[in-house]
Amino acid sequence: MHKKTIMRAIGLTVAATLTVGITACSSGGDESTTFKIWHYEDPTSAMGIAWNQAIEVFEEEHPDVTVEFQSKAFDQIQQSAGMILNSDAVPDVMEYNKGNATAGLLASQGLLTDLSDAAEERGWDDMLPTSIQTTAKYDEQGVMGSGGWYGVPTYGAFATMFYNKDMFADLGLSVPTTLDELEDVMDAFVADGTTPLATGGADYPAGQLFYELALQKADRQFVNDYQLYENPVDFHGEELQFGADTFDEWVKKGYISGDAASLSAEDMGTAWEAGTYPMMFTVSAWYGRVTNEVTDFDWGIFNFPGNSLSAGSSGNLWVIPTNAANKDLAEDFIDITLRPEQQELMGNSGGLPVIEGVEISDERSKELNDAFAEYLESDGLAFYPDWPVPGYFEDLVAAFQSLINQSKSPDAVLDELAASYEDGVATVTGN
Amino acid sequence: MAPVKSGRRSAAYIRSRVGYWPYLVPGVLLFIAVIVVPFAMNLYFSFTSWRGIGEPEWIGLENYLELASDSTFWISFRNSIAMVVAIVVIPTAIGLLLAATFFDFIGRRFGPRVASVLRALYYLPQVVPVVAAGLLWTWILQPQTGGLNTVLRAVGLDSLALNWLGDPETALPTVMSVLVWFQIGYPIVVFMAALERVDPELYEAAEMDGAPWFTRMRAITIPQIRPEIFVVTLTGTISALQVFAPIYVLTGGGPENSTNVPSYFSYTSFFTRAQVGYGAAIATVLALVVLLVALVMIRFQARSEKEDSEL
Repeated sequence: MHKKTIMRAIGLTVAATLTVGITACSSGGDESTTFKIWHYEDPTSAMGIAWNQAIEVFEEEHPDVTVEFQSKAFDQIQQSAGMILNSDAVPDVMEYNKGNATAGLLASQGLLTDLSDAAEERGWDDMLPTSIQTTAKYDEQGVMGSGGWYGVPTYGAFATMFYNKDMFADLGLSVPTTLDELEDVMDAFVADGTTPLATGGADYPAGQLFYELALQKADRQFVNDYQLYENPVDFHGEELQFGADTFDEWVKKGYISGDAASLSAEDMGTAWEAGTYPMMFTVSAWYGRVTNEVTDFDWGIFNFPGNSLSAGSSGNLWVIPTNAANKDLAEDFIDITLRPEQQELMGNSGGLPVIEGVEISDERSKELNDAFAEYLESDGLAFYPDWPVPGYFEDLVAAFQSLINQSKSPDAVLDELAASYEDGVATVTGN
Repeated sequence: MAPVKSGRRSAAYIRSRVGYWPYLVPGVLLFIAVIVVPFAMNLYFSFTSWRGIGEPEWIGLENYLELASDSTFWISFRNSIAMVVAIVVIPTAIGLLLAATFFDFIGRRFGPRVASVLRALYYLPQVVPVVAAGLLWTWILQPQTGGLNTVLRAVGLDSLALNWLGDPETALPTVMSVLVWFQIGYPIVVFMAALERVDPELYEAAEMDGAPWFTRMRAITIPQIRPEIFVVTLTGTISALQVFAPIYVLTGGGPENSTNVPSYFSYTSFFTRAQVGYGAAIATVLALVVLLVALVMIRFQARSEKEDSEL
């Protein structure tokens, strides 16, 4: 069946490309300019809302241009971007995933426009904080952090701790400010017969918790080594060893459920929302949903105690394909999405704007933005653990399933992670 | 008259020479486009290092050499044997028993309509989309709030409420059980159709001789419907070696690779790891294994049919 699936995937892509090609040809005869935008954010999400407003502003400012917006599926872009961008049927501006394996790969193949001049002319390089800019730049090998601008981030994301205030109050606990205090809080819950931390071993949460624990001991240089390959990474060095050992200890102490290996991120979130667990460490993207869905207890967030670095980064990027027909218009559009009005709307809709001086009036949104600002101001975004190597997501999932199930030692898990990391880095850098 | 005659003759001549070949052209073209070209492309990619875009780099047999020492690859093929057990061996054995029971017992005692309804019910999992049914199973098997464990805990069997898909010890047997559920209807339907074909006089004669049910099954039913058993076994084995969707939905090959299968391994290499050449090499090996197994089985069937006809 696998061949069928792959064939089908290729077939669909070819079919999609052809269809898009035909559409493009048929509209080629028009006199007026058609400006094509593709993105894959839900229209009700903060980004979807803000970008809809950006499209309206763009239409007002360019009355002679017809905007053609297409909503794409994340997987559709993820799996076929290379083939689409190689054709003539490209949009003028498109949302694309940040990181070496995605935007970096396309940039290194010459499929994306170098926006360095535009970034300077339009002031994007002054507007955006340093750790947000990291994901905008890619070198010749497609490694992020240096080189030209190949994408423009317009929002942020990070990982934080969601907590159930009612459950904390029941045991008379307050928000921990150090790792020791966090462990005391978790001990109190364990003594009360409650597993304190919701997690999903079959998905991203377990790997993120490991990385966040490693970041307790890390500095910016470690992040640059791990994410940007500046120096070789010692998986038995202080940082990652601490991450794996502590994770293992937390499983043994019952902070994390031994059942969690097969649980998805969805399972984690719904169990926390149902009040089964007092805490959940996960990405800020959950914030909007939790705001809408949790009605029967009081909740809040706090950043991981004691971390000056945290999992987090810019959101996805706007990119302009090399074959795009209207590059100037595309730059105009990107610029509109970075204006205070659009950034403010995004912020008040539960998103994380990235330019300075955005006023957030919505109380809930403000809590999230304040927590994000802690990392943004100190250049504390350390990206995500699965970024450095294509397919590392699966490796991290398998590794922490082993620790949750207690079937392997932290050392054995780190050895496996080291092996696939080195393999992957060699593939990316071609060494 | 002469030219007309010769013209007619040449048209007939052409027709006799060309025969039905033109009618095969659409099929051949489709075969080339859908099978030959992708297969050749896959074979070519398997000799390259390629990330999906840019220029593939020719590296000869390197992918295959790497595969030979890749433990995940061997685990995935070992799991293929488990898939054959779950998709072929168990459903065929149970299917045979159930088909015979429905046909002989239920059909006679309660009428053919009851037997048809039962057959349709057992076939239902084959009709339901794999992804939908697979998601339902993940809900049922969810360790904390899933239906199965909730029931087990409610009746006091807490120690049996395992982490079905999350523990490497139980994940493979659990996946196999779900696959049996998926597959069971197929042999039942085929075997019940086959049983219609068996001459009832054979059974009547055996019954008069006092042969018990199980002996009749062994001596009459199985030899009579042997061609159908071969078909079920062959098609089942091929789909077992290629199984993808249930793994994708149920476990994603995990936990800790314990349920990985070659097709899923190929997919993750190809798409999520962007190691297209490596993924293509796995696919090529899998295609060869499937081809080989199918050929051996067809040869075996041909030989046993020949032996039968010689008896």
